[in-house]
Amino acid sequence: MRYVWWLVRCQPWRVLRGTVVGTAWMIGLSVRPYLVSRAVDDGLRAHDPRALLLWVAAIVVAGAGLSYLGIMRHRTMTFVREDATARSAAVLLRQLSRIGAVLPRRLAAGEVATVGGSDIGYTSQVLTMTGPGVGAVIAYAVIAVVLWSVSPLLALCVLLGVPAIALIIGPLLRRLERAESVYRHQQGVLTTRAGDIVAGLRVLAGVGGRGLFARRYAARSQDLLAEGYRVGAVYSWIDALTVAIPGLFLAAVVWLAARMAVAGDITVGQMVAVYGYVATLIVPVWFLLEGSYGVIRGRVAARRIIALLNLTPDHVGGPTPQDVGGLGNVPGARRPLARSAPVRPADLYDPACGLTVGDGRLVGVAADDPAEAIALADRLGRYVVSDVTWGGVPLTGIALDQVRARILVADHDSYLFAGTLRDILRAREASADGRAGNGGTLAREGGADHRVTAALRIASAEDVADALPVGLGTPIDTRARTLSGGQRQRVRLARALLAEPEVLILIDPTSAVDAHTEARIAERLRAARAGRTTIVLATSPLLLGHADTVAHLSEGRIVATGTHAELLEQDRGYRQLVARGSDALDSEDFTGPEGALR
Amino acid sequence: MSRLPVADRAAVRREMLDLVGRDRRAVLVVLVLHGAAAIAGLAAPWLLGTIVDQVAAGARVATVDRLAVAIGGCVLVQALLSRYAQYAGHRFGERAVARLREEFIRKTLGLPVSVVERAGSGDLATRSSVDVSTVGTTVRDVVPTIVIASAQLTLLFGAIFLLHPMLGLVALAGLPPIWAASRWYLRRASSAYLAEGAATAELTETLTTTAEGARTVEALRLTDDRIVHGTERIARVWTTRRATLALRTVFYTVVEASYPLPIAAVLLVGGFFLSKGMVSLGEVVAAALYLQQAIEPLDRILQWTEQAQRGFASFARVLGVGQVPPEPPGKASAPPGERLVVRGARFSYTDGHDVLHGIDLEVRPGERLAVVGPSGAGKSTLARLLAGIDAPRHGVVSIGGCPVTDLDPAERRRRIALVTQEHHVFIGSVRDNLAFAAPDASDDQMRAALVAVGADWYAELPDGLDTELGDGARQLGAADAQQLALARLVLADPHTLILDEATAALDPTTARRTERALAAVLTGRTVIAIAHRLNTAHDADRVAVMEDGRITELGSHDELVRADGAYASLWRSWHS
Repeated sequence: MRYVWWLVRCQPWRVLRGTVVGTAWMIGLSVRPYLVSRAVDDGLRAHDPRALLLWVAAIVVAGAGLSYLGIMRHRTMTFVREDATARSAAVLLRQLSRIGAVLPRRLAAGEVATVGGSDIGYTSQVLTMTGPGVGAVIAYAVIAVVLWSVSPLLALCVLLGVPAIALIIGPLLRRLERAESVYRHQQGVLTTRAGDIVAGLRVLAGVGGRGLFARRYAARSQDLLAEGYRVGAVYSWIDALTVAIPGLFLAAVVWLAARMAVAGDITVGQMVAVYGYVATLIVPVWFLLEGSYGVIRGRVAARRIIALLNLTPDHVGGPTPQDVGGLGNVPGARRPLARSAPVRPADLYDPACGLTVGDGRLVGVAADDPAEAIALADRLGRYVVSDVTWGGVPLTGIALDQVRARILVADHDSYLFAGTLRDILRAREASADGRAGNGGTLAREGGADHRVTAALRIASAEDVADALPVGLGTPIDTRARTLSGGQRQRVRLARALLAEPEVLILIDPTSAVDAHTEARIAERLRAARAGRTTIVLATSPLLLGHADTVAHLSEGRIVATGTHAELLEQDRGYRQLVARGSDALDSEDFTGPEGALR
Repeated sequence: MSRLPVADRAAVRREMLDLVGRDRRAVLVVLVLHGAAAIAGLAAPWLLGTIVDQVAAGARVATVDRLAVAIGGCVLVQALLSRYAQYAGHRFGERAVARLREEFIRKTLGLPVSVVERAGSGDLATRSSVDVSTVGTTVRDVVPTIVIASAQLTLLFGAIFLLHPMLGLVALAGLPPIWAASRWYLRRASSAYLAEGAATAELTETLTTTAEGARTVEALRLTDDRIVHGTERIARVWTTRRATLALRTVFYTVVEASYPLPIAAVLLVGGFFLSKGMVSLGEVVAAALYLQQAIEPLDRILQWTEQAQRGFASFARVLGVGQVPPEPPGKASAPPGERLVVRGARFSYTDGHDVLHGIDLEVRPGERLAVVGPSGAGKSTLARLLAGIDAPRHGVVSIGGCPVTDLDPAERRRRIALVTQEHHVFIGSVRDNLAFAAPDASDDQMRAALVAVGADWYAELPDGLDTELGDGARQLGAADAQQLALARLVLADPHTLILDEATAALDPTTARRTERALAAVLTGRTVIAIAHRLNTAHDADRVAVMEDGRITELGSHDELVRADGAYASLWRSWHS
């Protein structure tokens, strides 16, 4: 609730205006029955054309005024809600952008979609209570006073009867909503199935099985049909009841009023007006009922938003980003615990497997088990707590944002956000430009495309840009689904190169690329990263052949180091791992199904 | 990209009439019941008017009591009638929607692949999700609401005409401004709301993808970039919402100000008639109350029209899929031979720029041919021609002497299977994912097929073949999914296989293992493997090197190495 209150406090005047207009509108609703009753009594019954004209004119004017108030209420409240939505989205966005690698582990992506897609909206809906909600209470009171002046007995009946009816019907509607949500869920499942079929059309075209899928879909569609019939049965009853219950109540009130009119306690015009007031009262009562439901739902939603905002990054040792420049760049915030990073490029050492990466070298690491390679990259890039040292300083002791700025781990499945190809490639550069005073060394605007083209060339990805309709400016969707696997991989490589980190750690950068291209990339990569530390985790002989030194990682330890050629000669395990030609066959595993090959 | 067709107005209208026509009795029942319910609903204000008259004439309490009971009775009758009307209408809607979506899927499954690819699967995906469910809501909820409200309106105005024809005419006074405002609004509303929906979806997508790519955001320090990007999205949502709000501002102001107009007119004219003794006081009051009652159904119609309009547009897109001519059944019967022959094949995609420049190739039955070459050389295009997905612009691709595109599609798929690096795991169990390729396969065969492609992960599955895969259940990684696709192929057992980078998603070691295991299972089959790893080429009977849409080298691995061309130099660098 404190969160909702914060959303209100951010826009006090707008909320106040909403309250005033909302109240005026609600009260205005009861004006028309009154005017009509006066027109009947003073004009029609009294056969007074002038009075009739006067009251009819009043009806038209009041109608115009009411429609003005109504739209002002709607506008103000829409702005209140939109303001809240934008604010919630903004804080959420900041949090999501800042939290980092921990997020996917702590939270399913579906959860973020729920919070972003509906919880923000539900929370904003709560604010509706501040406008028409307040108005509804006041309107209810005003109508009570007016009715009381007509007849206290009638007033009592109406004032208690309308809320009672709302309380009866409310739960019925909730039940309907539940039945509907079951249906909608099933419908969603069916829609997913349809999407599944569409996505798999090419597979079905390649292998067959279309008839089976059509039949399976039809069976599920019939299940949904049966569920729809069930919902329809509930729905139609509830709908009929929501018509019948207020109708019967209205009949009772009219009956009571008519008997009073017969007895001469009230006039015929007043009798007609009572009829109108009952109808009018329904609006504020419904508002309150719906509003209270909205508040319940909004509280749950707000709690989920808060839970997301309270997530903190993983502790990977040392000072947390909050301590150093995360929240406000206070220079003194650096804890004594923080060790300063090596001023100059330095050696990296991982005691866990015994790997040393000399400064400025191109080091290849061939791992028997791909999972070991990823674990090594996580240690070197400090995504986990480890004993890795950098120039003799424990990596864990260095401020995390310094590590991130200077050491880049380029995962082979690193994420590609939607944007133009240029945006995707220059991602880090663009964000560095945004950082005050940090963009000095970077070529701007005109020169930038030149660098992008150079990076694309190194990654042998010029053809990716060339094949797109407007080259670098072509928008590409999330995860670059329109590109082929090999193209995506080369774009990722180009992006990592453009970031120009001091230490670049590449995981399987060419696994989806053909041999011709891989050979080109290996050569150009070496030239482009000359003098800067680069670690390539791969088993491709083309890449490893270009490394200064190669390490063979087996069962958690570095078992051999040397050049590619040396290792090929000395380390049989290495030879089997990387040699993809016939000599692997010549060795021990010639038996088994492979024997059938040649 | 040529988009999928959209049905024109006439076709949509025809189809709608057809939907009604197929369920004529249900529609009739619904209309009769709704009509009866609306008439019962009219009785209440009329009885109220009678009460007013009776009270004004000095009636006794007994009369009032009798009339009040009558009002109560009418309300109950109306409720009962409308319940059964609703229910019948609902059932009709459900049936119609079910028929539509099943038809849509049937048509979609019958689409030629080349059409789907050219249109982009995004368009089709939108039609299958957004459009089908929009049509569903329209048929199920919107159309009944509008039909009921229209019936109520017609009866209400009819009743006023019955009270006095002049009162009826006067009551129509408020309609012209409402009509004008609606037209103005509807012409703009759909696109504005679609833009709003798109902007909202984009914002959600930005938040979700930022969360999904959180590690990348941290690694590349994209925090500020993501915030800038997201803030733009938030601003766009705000702008689009303002746009729709502006439309509503005009529309609702005019409409709501118009509602009291007919009431005022009826009172005024009624007063005049009353003074002439042409109508009773009760009749004028009843007319005013009818008009008061008419506001609600009118409001409902206006609110739902925009949705109905959108439903109409979606319906047109759903029907459009059915207008694509389905895959031709094929002219030729099963060819006798299995020899694949390509003669002078040229091919160009839409822009008229040739991707293949005269390919000549012959693949013997049982031969294993590897195709290598740099990306963009036309390897995948050749694979598509061989599989019969596209026909060459010039030249011929034939199997057993019969052009592959002339074969019946089902027959062709049984004989020639194409597996690409695009794999898809269908929602369902492992068995579901395998069975469609070979409906008669036993569980043992399926397990054997998984073992044959080296899918070790199968052993870890909790429920074996019954383990549910995909969305919300167990997610297979790219490598596992690719092995599943290969296992499917083993089960389908075609005599000719085209593997287009079919193991690209596997890590090199696993890829090697899988390929070999697969090769063992597929002995005797014709295999054309497009590969970026040279070991595949090394294992093959012959290697074709493609460059710039031409086959530049063709021969066995050893021959090509001896010939000392491009292949040989590549092999040496690979092999050093």
